[in-house]
Amino acid sequence: MANRIAAQSELSLKGNQKRRHFWSSENPVFWLAPAVVFLFLYSIFPLLFNLYRSLYEFSSSKKVWVFVELRNWIKLFTDDSRFINALGITLQYVAIALVVELLLGLLIALLLDSKPWASGLMQTLIILPMVTAPAVAGLMFRLLEHSEFGVLSILAYSTGILIKDEPLMGGTGKYALVSVLIVDIWQWTPFFILIILAGLKGMPLEVLEAAEVDGANWFQRLTRIKIPLLFGVITVAILFRLVDLFKVFDYIAIMTAGGPALRSESVSYYSFVNTFAQVKWGYGATIGVVIMAMAWLSAWVYQKVFHLKW
Amino acid sequence: MTATTLTNITNEQRQANREYQRRQHRRKFVEKILVTLLTLVIVVVFVFPIFYWARLSITPYKYVFTIPPRFDFPATTTAWWNVVMGQKSYSDVMLEQVGGNTGVGGAGTSGYDIRPRIVNSVSIAGLSTLVVMIVATFTAYALSRFDMRFKQNIVFFVLSTRFMPGVAVVLPLYLMYREIGLYDTRFGLILAHVVINLPIAVLLLKSFFDDVPRDLDDAAMVDGCTRFGAFWRIIVRYVAPGLAAAAVLCFIFSWNEFLFSLYLTRTPELQTVPVTIRTYDASAGTTEWGLMSAAGTAAVIPVFIFVLFVQRYLIRGLTLGAVRG
Repeated sequence: MANRIAAQSELSLKGNQKRRHFWSSENPVFWLAPAVVFLFLYSIFPLLFNLYRSLYEFSSSKKVWVFVELRNWIKLFTDDSRFINALGITLQYVAIALVVELLLGLLIALLLDSKPWASGLMQTLIILPMVTAPAVAGLMFRLLEHSEFGVLSILAYSTGILIKDEPLMGGTGKYALVSVLIVDIWQWTPFFILIILAGLKGMPLEVLEAAEVDGANWFQRLTRIKIPLLFGVITVAILFRLVDLFKVFDYIAIMTAGGPALRSESVSYYSFVNTFAQVKWGYGATIGVVIMAMAWLSAWVYQKVFHLKW
Repeated sequence: MTATTLTNITNEQRQANREYQRRQHRRKFVEKILVTLLTLVIVVVFVFPIFYWARLSITPYKYVFTIPPRFDFPATTTAWWNVVMGQKSYSDVMLEQVGGNTGVGGAGTSGYDIRPRIVNSVSIAGLSTLVVMIVATFTAYALSRFDMRFKQNIVFFVLSTRFMPGVAVVLPLYLMYREIGLYDTRFGLILAHVVINLPIAVLLLKSFFDDVPRDLDDAAMVDGCTRFGAFWRIIVRYVAPGLAAAAVLCFIFSWNEFLFSLYLTRTPELQTVPVTIRTYDASAGTTEWGLMSAAGTAAVIPVFIFVLFVQRYLIRGLTLGAVRG
């Protein structure tokens, strides 16, 4: 008996030693290394590269990088009204899209949750916009918003919302941002719908029934019970939409190219114009650093504020 | 007497009760019809653009560009599909559709065949998904099972790469690729798609591994498996459905990806389907709506079919496992 205990303790000791050995499958380094290497390529390397190259400018005539000290940074913050314009448009875009998608998503999710017939089929159909390639979705809406033949445009003209001199796309660009927002809302409202539906399905039925018995009406049940209980899923949904909205690029590239008169140019698109259209790589890198900082900071702060855990 | 008065319900009361219940029932029924109709309208609004696009791909131009717009099928044509599927030449089709060439579009007269691009897209999406899944499975398992320092930091690092703005990454990647000769190669684009999808796959798979109890690993190791053996022989088999769902989602994301595919390739043979469709657009004055819609429909139909299988994991995938739909 005593022998067996001794043998066992020896065994477990051995096991522990084995566990501490570097070349063993207990060492998390081997499990994590490949992914971390890959991800460095996508995050730390671009950040360092952009920081480094923000001090340079590429001279496309001489094909060399010229050291320009902090001039790119000074220009960005003091002397670039186009950047400020792009920043304002991006913030507008993010705010409008987020609010509209969240409210629409909540309403439609509540509708789908109140058990209409064929709700399963309808849910499946509502997924489709979300998995359509954004480039294709942009083209779809370019046709729907065509100033002459577009179904949406014709609808807007006939209901008097718009006049022909100021169409959705083109014209002076008054509605250029709206025309892009429409695609975003079409594609990503389903995201909120599905996520809120998931939250509604996981809701404790007893609580809702108890509230109903106690005489809470539909609106009270919604605002006092359902929405507070949905808080968790909604914060996650907002986090993902927030960071994705900040980097809006595809729709703008496909539909408006930032125009007319820069009235739909987001920061992402402006950075792209600098780097690929005007070959101002150094300046593009500078904007790149700003966008990265914005994305990371907002994600980090948001995660801290709402205590999101993965 | 005292006991029976409580349960003694008169006929009138019984009838009133039945009437009340019937009214309630009718009210519920009417409510249900209204809710269904309203939802149906909303669903129609969401599906309409896709329907209209698909209709465009089989409709002659004279029934497309009409005022007021039409949504029926007065005549159908396979012309656009014939061109993008390489069955007929562009100029022949233009002759029969609009009585002449509308001007050579961006892709050139013979460049409208989408089939080789589909093959290219499938190979890029397929290979990148394969690599992502291999790398992500190990990482996800480690993040789910090992107790280590800085674990939350690693998780947040993975999460933050998901939040990286593409335009800020594509320039460094583009310049580096030019330096080391990966620019305009299939391998380079596959690599880019791997790093784009990796954070999604890692955190999604971590949530699947978290669902499998740790006791299972411990039991396997008590029975003599190494850590790797427990992972490979036992745990991976338990999360197989999750692996399949993650793979399908990665494939879809890679298939739909636009920015990197656009800027890391130049030769038409290497371009993916979304990038190709954009080249049908007006570089020579006309926008080839028919061809764009046929190619676009061809690009979205496989995704629609795929997504039916992973529907219930879609939200989980898009939120990296944070919300379990």
